[in-house]
Amino acid sequence: MPKPPRQLDSRIEIVTPENIAFHYVLAGPFRRLPAYLIDVGIRMGVVLLVAMAAALAGIGGLGAIGFGLMLIIWFVLSWFYGGLFETFWNGQTPGKRMLGLRVLSVDGRPINAMQAVLRNVLRDVDAWPMVGYGAAFGIPLYMLGLVVVTANDRYQRLGDLACGTIVVVERHTRLTGLAQIEHREVLQLARQLPANFTASRQLAQTLSGFVARRGRFSPARRFELAGILAGPFVERFRLPPDTNPDLLLVSMYFRTFFADRIAADDAPDPQPEPAEAASP
Amino acid sequence: MKVAELLDRRRQQWHELELKCYALERGRLRALGGQGIARFAALYRAACADLALADAYQLPPDTIQYLHQLVGRAHNQLYRSQTFRWRAWGDEMFRALPRRLLRDRALWLAFGVFWGLFGLAMLLGYSSRPFVEQMVGEATMAQMQEMYSGPIFGRNPGASSVMTGFYVFNNASIGLQCFAGGLVLGVGGLFVTVSNAVFLGAVFGFMFTTPERHNFIQFVTAHGPFELTAIVFAAAAGMRLGFSMVATGGLTRGASLRRAAALAMPTAGAAVVLFCLAAVIEGFISPSALPYPFKVAVAAGSTAALLLYVVGFGLAPSKYPERE
Repeated sequence: MPKPPRQLDSRIEIVTPENIAFHYVLAGPFRRLPAYLIDVGIRMGVVLLVAMAAALAGIGGLGAIGFGLMLIIWFVLSWFYGGLFETFWNGQTPGKRMLGLRVLSVDGRPINAMQAVLRNVLRDVDAWPMVGYGAAFGIPLYMLGLVVVTANDRYQRLGDLACGTIVVVERHTRLTGLAQIEHREVLQLARQLPANFTASRQLAQTLSGFVARRGRFSPARRFELAGILAGPFVERFRLPPDTNPDLLLVSMYFRTFFADRIAADDAPDPQPEPAEAASP
Repeated sequence: MKVAELLDRRRQQWHELELKCYALERGRLRALGGQGIARFAALYRAACADLALADAYQLPPDTIQYLHQLVGRAHNQLYRSQTFRWRAWGDEMFRALPRRLLRDRALWLAFGVFWGLFGLAMLLGYSSRPFVEQMVGEATMAQMQEMYSGPIFGRNPGASSVMTGFYVFNNASIGLQCFAGGLVLGVGGLFVTVSNAVFLGAVFGFMFTTPERHNFIQFVTAHGPFELTAIVFAAAAGMRLGFSMVATGGLTRGASLRRAAALAMPTAGAAVVLFCLAAVIEGFISPSALPYPFKVAVAAGSTAALLLYVVGFGLAPSKYPERE
């Protein structure tokens, strides 16, 4: 069977039962490390708290029962912490939730309990080699895991390979909408564009990328950047050569995304978006 | 229609979907109600359609990115993981697993390797002291002798619970490490099995030659069957993982590993359960002042339970047609 072409970036495509393909961004080792460290911290914190409670109970006359319990809790946490959280939190541990990561099956479906537990038990192999004293107090170096992660194109460690899981970044972006444009000169310029002007898909993307970011540049730099694209259009549209290239791109953006025609008078603003959509 | 109009029309629904996703992520499925769930599915499909037509609509890139993440988020809620189903779990535990255990060649290999080497090492350890010195080391030998020299039976229950905790922590951890280590071509599991078998065998053989043998035998009898079987189970689960990457049975190595992992996981789970049972017995019964016949009865009972589970349940007719 021919292998599908490898992707160059870390995005993977997932096809839903609705026959829609959407993208996820894979989480590489250095995105997962902070989440792992948070989880280790939480685990150690809980064990310490239980140890203190056990010591207090020991002083209080309950004997050493607390310490037996502490050891059992320690065992459960060190082997099944990730598995339990990922089962009941739909692929997330507290650390992963804080940093917006989630474990999924390779086909994009949520993981089941078996996968969640297994990938965390097999973490023990990925953590090789351990330095320090034994399994309880050693520091895992994750060398084997790191080597395996870099050797496949989905950033899977051995545990992930064995249960067919991936870790993805879940970004909760807000809908920013379109930039609001009511500059008079822009509207005037937009009126001067040919009536049959339609932007190709690529051009539309470039325009909206430029408009979204132009607020961050100084006017001179904005001019310079816009000039690269605007120059040929000035010629093609037979506009005066001293046309402001920045405003030309904005007006093309306006024509593409807002209105085909602009009424002759000076108040053509179609009130496109509420205030939150304003570009910076 | 221009993008601005389209966005105006659609954005309300997207926002509604986002709110429902948020509610579902917080586990408020019931609060949503039947109609809410149906509405959620409809909104999700609408967002899917928007994403599919995003190019045709010429949506700006950041809107497309927003749609990708919205659809992904909703997809994640709609096709959620099934959490626990007790029925399926019981089926796996009492029907499928014993059947697999009985027919698992990795298990019989681990069983043979462990008990064969254990017996051999015990014989050698009984007959030759230098063998034990090489395998176990003088310091450990002295320590073992000292451990079983004093009156060890009938200590207080507080110590028992600490020791139970310790046995769970230590032994079950070793078992799980043995399982995970099997991933490295099965060598890890085999190595740990061999070293455990030789070490334990040598210790047993040596202890039989010492004056402390009565204490030793009394101590190890009760929890022996569970603990030694647990070691075998953990090793077998590990080997199954490792061998699957060598003998793929026509699958790709990855697919073979995934299949083996799904089969080996319950075996490893059974090993952990056995380690925990052994720890409770080792903590509370083995060191207690109960008469020796009682401890023998515990050992016999646990052996019978294991046999019933693996052989008895394993031979029971399957509810489903065989898969292989």
